[in-house]
Amino acid sequence: MRQFVAVFVDALRLLRARALFWITLGISALAAVLYLSIGFDENGVTFLFGASGFESEFLREGSPLAEMFYLGIFSMIIVNLWLSWIAVILALITCAPVFPEFMAEGSAGVALSKPISRIKLFFYKYLSGLLFAFLQTGIFCAIVFLAIRLQVGTWNPSVFWAVPLVVLMFSYLWSVMVAVGVRTRSVMASVLASLLVWFGAWIAKTVEEYAWTAAEFGEVPAAQGSMRLTEAEQKGWRDRYSQVSLAYTLLPKTSDTVNLLQRLVTVQGQKKFAVSELLNLMATGAPVRDDEVEEALERHSVGFIIGSSLAFEAVMLAFAGWSFCRRDY
Amino acid sequence: MEAAAVEIEHLSKRYGRFEALREVALSVPRGSVFGLLGPNGAGKSTLVKSLLTIVRPTECRGTLLGERIGHRRTLAKVGYLPEHARFPEYLTGRQIVGFTAGLAKVPAKQAKRRAEELLETVGMKDWADRKNGTYSKGMRQRVGLAQALVNDPEIVFLDEPTDGVDPGGRIEIRKIIERMREEGRTVFVNSHLLGEVEQVADEVAIMAHGRIAESGTLESLTRRDNRYEIRTLGPVPAEVRAELEGDGLEVAGDRIASTAADAKGVQQLIDRLRSRGVVIREMKELRFTLEEVFLKAVQSVGKEESR
Ligand SMILES: Nc1ncnc2c1ncn2[C@@H]1O[C@H](COP(=O)(O)OP(=O)(O)OP(=O)(O)O)[C@@H](O)[C@H]1O
Ligand SMILES: [Mg+2]
Repeated sequence: MRQFVAVFVDALRLLRARALFWITLGISALAAVLYLSIGFDENGVTFLFGASGFESEFLREGSPLAEMFYLGIFSMIIVNLWLSWIAVILALITCAPVFPEFMAEGSAGVALSKPISRIKLFFYKYLSGLLFAFLQTGIFCAIVFLAIRLQVGTWNPSVFWAVPLVVLMFSYLWSVMVAVGVRTRSVMASVLASLLVWFGAWIAKTVEEYAWTAAEFGEVPAAQGSMRLTEAEQKGWRDRYSQVSLAYTLLPKTSDTVNLLQRLVTVQGQKKFAVSELLNLMATGAPVRDDEVEEALERHSVGFIIGSSLAFEAVMLAFAGWSFCRRDY
Repeated sequence: MEAAAVEIEHLSKRYGRFEALREVALSVPRGSVFGLLGPNGAGKSTLVKSLLTIVRPTECRGTLLGERIGHRRTLAKVGYLPEHARFPEYLTGRQIVGFTAGLAKVPAKQAKRRAEELLETVGMKDWADRKNGTYSKGMRQRVGLAQALVNDPEIVFLDEPTDGVDPGGRIEIRKIIERMREEGRTVFVNSHLLGEVEQVADEVAIMAHGRIAESGTLESLTRRDNRYEIRTLGPVPAEVRAELEGDGLEVAGDRIASTAADAKGVQQLIDRLRSRGVVIREMKELRFTLEEVFLKAVQSVGKEESR
C-alpha cells in the first residue's frame, strides 16, 4: 500500500508538472462549459448562453425531445468527437513519457533496487497512466452532469458511463504505448505506434462495416447513395466476411467502445436512447426510429466489443510486462 | 562470526557475447568501507547493479546481508545511489527522499523525520523545497546521498558518489561516508578516483575487464612485496657496491633495496654496511602507492586479455 501510494503520488506529480496536463484539463473543462451554454427557451434552442439560436417547435423549453436532443449532442458530438478523439490524443501525449522517463539511465535504478517486485512496479506505473484519463473524463462528465440538470432539469447519472468507457478505450491505446515505450524507451516511437494502431483499428472497422453491409443488405456505399449488388456478389461477401473482418476482430474496438455509451445513456431514466431518432429528427424534423439502423448499430455484443479489445490489451500488457521484467537497466 | 555483508562466490554477466563480469568472487566485511576500483568499463557498475537486481546476472551465487542475492525483502535494508543519478526534474529534494522512502516501505512519519535530518546532513536543508530541475550537479548528488540513507540501510552502495561534486563537497561526502561507518553501516563505494578511495576505504578490490584483479586491505596491497630501502651518506663505495650486487641486491647511487620478511631481516645488512664504515642516513619500508598497485593489476589483466 505504501509503495502504491508512493508510485501514485509520483505519477500525479509528474502529470501536474506537465503544462500539457493543465492545457488538456482546461480545454476539457472549456468543452464542457460550451456544452453547458446550449439551452432551450420558449421558442427553441439557444447557443452560447443565448447569444444565438434557432426556433423549433419540437425543441424548446419543456418539450420532451429537448432532453433527448441535449443528450444526443452529448453522446454523438461531444463523446465521439471530443472525448474519444481529441481528449484521448492529448491524454496519450501527456502520458507518453511515463515509461521512457522512468526507464532512463540513472533513474530506474533507485526504484528497481527497492523491495518491490518488477511486475508490481510495472502495474503501478501502468495504472497511473489510466489515472490521467480518469481524471480528465471525470471532471468533464461532472460538468456535463450539472449542465443537463441546469438546461433540461433532470439529474442524469447515466452520463457517467462515459468515464469507464473512455478510460477503457484509452487503456487499449495506452497498452500499445507502454509496450513500445518499454521496448524502445522512446516517447516519439510510442506515440506513433499507438496512433498507428488507432488508425489501423479505424480502417479495420470501416472495412468491416463495408463488408457487413455488402453481405447483409447486398448494398455498398457509392459516390451517389448506394449501389445494389447481385445475389452472387452478396454471397461472395458473406463467405468472405470473416476473413475481411479479421483485422477488426483482432484489433481493439476503439470507437465501438465509446459508442456503447449510446446504448447506456438513458432518457428520463428508462427509454432507451435511439440514435436513429435523433438523426431523423435533425434531418427531417420528426423523431422516427429506424429499427434497421438501430439493429446495425448494435450488431456486436458488448461482450464481444469489450472482450476482444481487452484480449488485445492483455497481449500487449503481457508482452510489455515481460519485457519490463526481463531487461537490464 | 557474523556473515559478511556481501559474499559473492561466483558472478557472471554477459551482454550478448560480451562478458561484462567474469566469475567474480568478492567478500565485503560488515561495518567496513569497501572501495571497488577500476578503469572505465571495467564492470563496477554492472557488479553493483547485479547485487541490487537492476541487472539480471547470467550466473550468480552468493549472499547479500546473509540472504541469497536477489532476495527482495533484503533490499529494504539496502541504500543505493546510482551512477549519474537522475531523479525527476519535477520533484523537490524533499519529495525525492520521500519517494525512495515510500518504495522502501519506511513508515510515513519516520520517513519525514529522517528526510529532515538527512537533508540537513548533506547540506540541502535550505534547498529542500526547490525543484530538482533547478539544482546544480553537486546538489543533485547530495540529495541522492540523502535518499540512499532514508531507509536506515545496513549497507549502502554508492556508485561514483563524488561525480560532479566540487572539492569542498568531496570532503563533505568523505565525512558522510566516515560517519556511516561509525554508525555501523557497510559502505560500498565505486570509483575510479584512487585518491579518494585511499582516504576512506578499509578494503579495496581492483577490477579490470570484468575480473577482480586484486583485493584486500589497503595495507596488504601496498606493502605486499616487503621491500626495504637503505640510504647511505654519499654514494655506496664501489667495492661494497660490487659485493652487494654480487649477492643480488639492487644498488643505485646512495640507495640499497632489499627484500625481507620484516624489519629484523634487514638488520644483518645494516650491520654489514656499518662494519665497512658506511654511514646510514635512512632506512624505510617501501610501499607501493595505490596507483602503482592499480596500474599493475590493470596491466596484468590486460596482458592476459591480449593473449
Ligand atoms: N546494457 C548493456 N548492454 C551491453 N553492454 C553493456 C551494458 N551495460 C554495460 N555494458 C558494458 O559492460 C561493461 C561494463 O560496464 P560498467 O558500466 O559496469 O563499467 P564501469 O566499471 O561502471 O565503468 P565506469 O567507470 O565508466 O562507470 C562496459 O564495457 C559496457 O560497455
Ligand atoms: Mg560505472
